[in-house]
Amino acid sequence: MNTRVLIIIAFLVYLSPLFYHSYLAFKEYKKDNKNPFRRLKKFLKYTFIILFFMVGTLLTLNHTNYLNYESPLTYDKFDKITFENFRGLEFFRKTLYGNKHFAYVVTTVETDIEEDSVSVVSLFHPSRSYVYNTHSNSLELLTHEKYHIKITELYVRKIKAKLVTLHNPSEENIEDVISQMLQAENSYQQKYDYDTFHSYVLSEQKRYQKEVDSLLESLTEFKEPKIKLNE
Amino acid sequence: MNKVQIFLCALVCITLTNCETEERFPLSKRYWDIKDYEAAVNELKFGYDEDEKLPRFNDPETRLIVTKLTDKQNFIVVLDDKELGMSYKNEVAEGFFKSWRLLTSVYTQLDRKDMYIYDQEMLSVYHFGLALQLRYFQLGNAQIKANSDDPDSSSTKSTLNSNINVLVNNYTNYLDFVNEENQFSEKGQKLYAEGISTYFTELITSYPNASYGSLKRKVDLMLKKTKVAAIKSELTSLSELLIATKKRQEAKETE
Repeated sequence: MNTRVLIIIAFLVYLSPLFYHSYLAFKEYKKDNKNPFRRLKKFLKYTFIILFFMVGTLLTLNHTNYLNYESPLTYDKFDKITFENFRGLEFFRKTLYGNKHFAYVVTTVETDIEEDSVSVVSLFHPSRSYVYNTHSNSLELLTHEKYHIKITELYVRKIKAKLVTLHNPSEENIEDVISQMLQAENSYQQKYDYDTFHSYVLSEQKRYQKEVDSLLESLTEFKEPKIKLNE
Repeated sequence: MNKVQIFLCALVCITLTNCETEERFPLSKRYWDIKDYEAAVNELKFGYDEDEKLPRFNDPETRLIVTKLTDKQNFIVVLDDKELGMSYKNEVAEGFFKSWRLLTSVYTQLDRKDMYIYDQEMLSVYHFGLALQLRYFQLGNAQIKANSDDPDSSSTKSTLNSNINVLVNNYTNYLDFVNEENQFSEKGQKLYAEGISTYFTELITSYPNASYGSLKRKVDLMLKKTKVAAIKSELTSLSELLIATKKRQEAKETE
């Protein structure tokens, strides 16, 4: 069954009492009986409050699964991440290029600019990351997704490496560097997915793994969250 | 029937008649895997009416379908990947080969003048198959060698040679089209000639030791028959390549 049609039917069923009351109100209004119209206004109010609440709940859970919440994980927990940590819900996307066996990770970068230091941390969000089956044994898929986390960490380290080269930077300078690096990270993440075709091209996947690992290794000195700024 | 019943009936009808309509061809997908390829071939073979226009290169609306369908990267990305296992690659090669065999009969319609309606598409499908077979037989032979207790035994060597002979014969069949060269458009004739140059060179480079006697005889016969300059030129080059390869092999043997 087409999902869109299913949603339309659910809406029609949900709103059918409202249609019925509208019909009654219109009919009685002509006869100067305003009671059904008042009832309709009340009905309308509650129908839309409930609807708003339901849609809001659905969108919220699709964004972050608060029913099975796990707080964001920092990069030092990387080795412990498995598909069990992918707790997100996905109500809208059923397949990725026709493949039902798909997953995605959500990572963010958190920054805290202080007077003489900057803290930059990469975070993996378990309750926003999705896998079709948390008990999946697909090591290839897990590896592919985990390298998205590594790429975020790589750019976090690149940000820190760039910031330490600045002399007496203003908050605006720091924000510019972070913003540019995050754009570069986004492009790299997309290129990674495109070149590996979401891990289908194994030789490309291995090439990226080597590249990311070696770049991460070369930036080991920036693995701590906080860096001191040059004055 | 009251209004509520009409409303419910309408809902049931909408529900029953709205089945999931999947994309006919997954065009946004960068590479088609064997499942996509199988589905696309089935769609082309059974999803079109007899007189319905098939996807073709000169139709902007459907060009992407036939481009995707004949894109060799679909199998190269797997079969040439050194990271993947041999059994897996053989499985994929076999899947593509099975679908391709079905596909070869899709674009073969002739018009009332006996001209191929889809000559470029048919030849591109054939080229896809030639490139695929080269890898398919290579992988098959590699697996036979790997699974054999004694890869140097005469029985193993005989099986490997027999497979190479089948491959050469399959390639030789491509030359049968010279008999139908007048049924191709000018563009089709050019594309056909390019196919001789590209794919036979690849074959001979990959298997310089293979037995090309029957292929050489066929080339000589077709050279006498063809009237198309581009095809004649490519057949002449192929003939010269076969002679040069034979001489090189004989020289190696006498050393």
